[in-house]
Amino acid sequence: MYEIYHPPFTTELTDFEDTVITVEKQGSDLVYKRTFQGKEETELVLLNNDGDILINPIEPVNLPRKLTSFLLIEFKRPALIRPGDRKKIYLTFPVEIGVFVTDRSGNHEVIDTFTFSRVKFTLYGSHNHGLICRHWESDVYSEEPKTDLMHEGYIELEIINDSNHMMEVTQAVFNAYGMKIYYGDSRIGMKASMRIINKLLAETDFSTYPTTSRFKRSMELYTSRKLIINGTKGIMEFGL
Amino acid sequence: MTNSTIITQYIPPLSDPFLQIITVVLILFFTVVLGKGITIYLQRTLKDKMDKEHLNILLKTIYYGLIVLVILGVIFPVLDIDTSGLLVAGGVVGIVIGFASQSIVGNFISGIFLMVERPIKIGDQVNIDNKLGYVEDIKIISTIIRTYEGLYIRLPNETVFTTSITNYVANLVRRFEYVVGIRYEDDADKAIAIIKDLIDEQPYALVNPSPSVFVDNLGDNAVNITVRVWAPAVEWYDTKTKLLWIIKKTLEENGIEIAFPQRTVWFANGLDTRNMDGNGIHED
Repeated sequence: MYEIYHPPFTTELTDFEDTVITVEKQGSDLVYKRTFQGKEETELVLLNNDGDILINPIEPVNLPRKLTSFLLIEFKRPALIRPGDRKKIYLTFPVEIGVFVTDRSGNHEVIDTFTFSRVKFTLYGSHNHGLICRHWESDVYSEEPKTDLMHEGYIELEIINDSNHMMEVTQAVFNAYGMKIYYGDSRIGMKASMRIINKLLAETDFSTYPTTSRFKRSMELYTSRKLIINGTKGIMEFGL
Repeated sequence: MTNSTIITQYIPPLSDPFLQIITVVLILFFTVVLGKGITIYLQRTLKDKMDKEHLNILLKTIYYGLIVLVILGVIFPVLDIDTSGLLVAGGVVGIVIGFASQSIVGNFISGIFLMVERPIKIGDQVNIDNKLGYVEDIKIISTIIRTYEGLYIRLPNETVFTTSITNYVANLVRRFEYVVGIRYEDDADKAIAIIKDLIDEQPYALVNPSPSVFVDNLGDNAVNITVRVWAPAVEWYDTKTKLLWIIKKTLEENGIEIAFPQRTVWFANGLDTRNMDGNGIHED
């Protein structure tokens, strides 16, 4: 599943999805192939490369192509929170998988991304000043939901109501630049918070700590690209 | 009364050369400081509204323009240099140049307003003066368009500024619409459900604003179903061109045919077709 592979290797990612990743050695080169139900999806040659291959979950905002860095999770049931209160809830999020090649100095370069989750987009806010977001619908859980490692992860979201009013939360917008994804043998998790300022304004952010200490930190796409990022928070200024 | 004497009424010429030098240096110093102050203020104000290259041109024009103005208007009178002849000559030359460069100045001013107002940006898909394409460059005098056919079009900024501009990607999302006509004997509810499922499968067909699929009118030959879908402005064209054919194929796979114009003609006296040969000629 999610781990570092030493070429040559062949790995079947899921039993029922029939996705197979093969990396073969051809002299000093590596040939990377991803097939789905026997049909070739991606093939590329890594010239003069003998690095390891890392497969792990990445920020779920990169497919079919990079259009946004925001993920909007719509709650199937609205959640109400009292003024001044804080509450931990659990949501699910879609999983995208990144394949990286590593070099001797420990740098990672992404060579392939794919997903088994449904991909949809939505508009958050107004037509001219809003945000295009990757859309995902999730139930609101009071404890860690059971998720399929290849399709979904879960977010432990702490909602803090700093306003003086009872608030109804129907969605959460997260900025992928701030995502810290952790994974274990059977689950993927993130820890985040949502601070409600008023009815129209809230701020979301990710924690650098895993939901469980046994989890390993994932190599996110933005981390591997070593981008200098100004804002990592999600500002929800068009309502909750 | 000449211009020089008007100015020297307020700024008397200095007779002491040392005092003249000190005064000129001080005036120049304050002018440079004022110029720098103005350019810094404008840079901060306009940095989000103009691109760097054009902003630099504007700031340099303002900065050096101010210095030249102060030299001509303040320093020369202080040094008792009569600028009246220069001003008269300058005035005549100015009129000549003004007439000659009327359109250039018009384009230049329009260019500045375009950069400040920013109705278009480089890379935007636009329709300006019925020229459709991508904005390749916005220069100080002209705007360059690359049409969808790959043609290079240079539009003077005055034209761009005074004509109506349609920017197809200024807003984040854009809607497209199809009218799908199905036969009267087909189940419109089933067709709508199939179309909604197909839209749901398209990643770029947005969840919000939500798509709408409904029977719009009962036409002469078909039940017309209107399909309205919102997509991100940058993916609008691909989604639009992709989805229609998928709808057509899937409806047909489900036994729903796209109707075509037809007429059922009733003859008062039935046609006696049995007595005709293959060429439509009566055999008897």
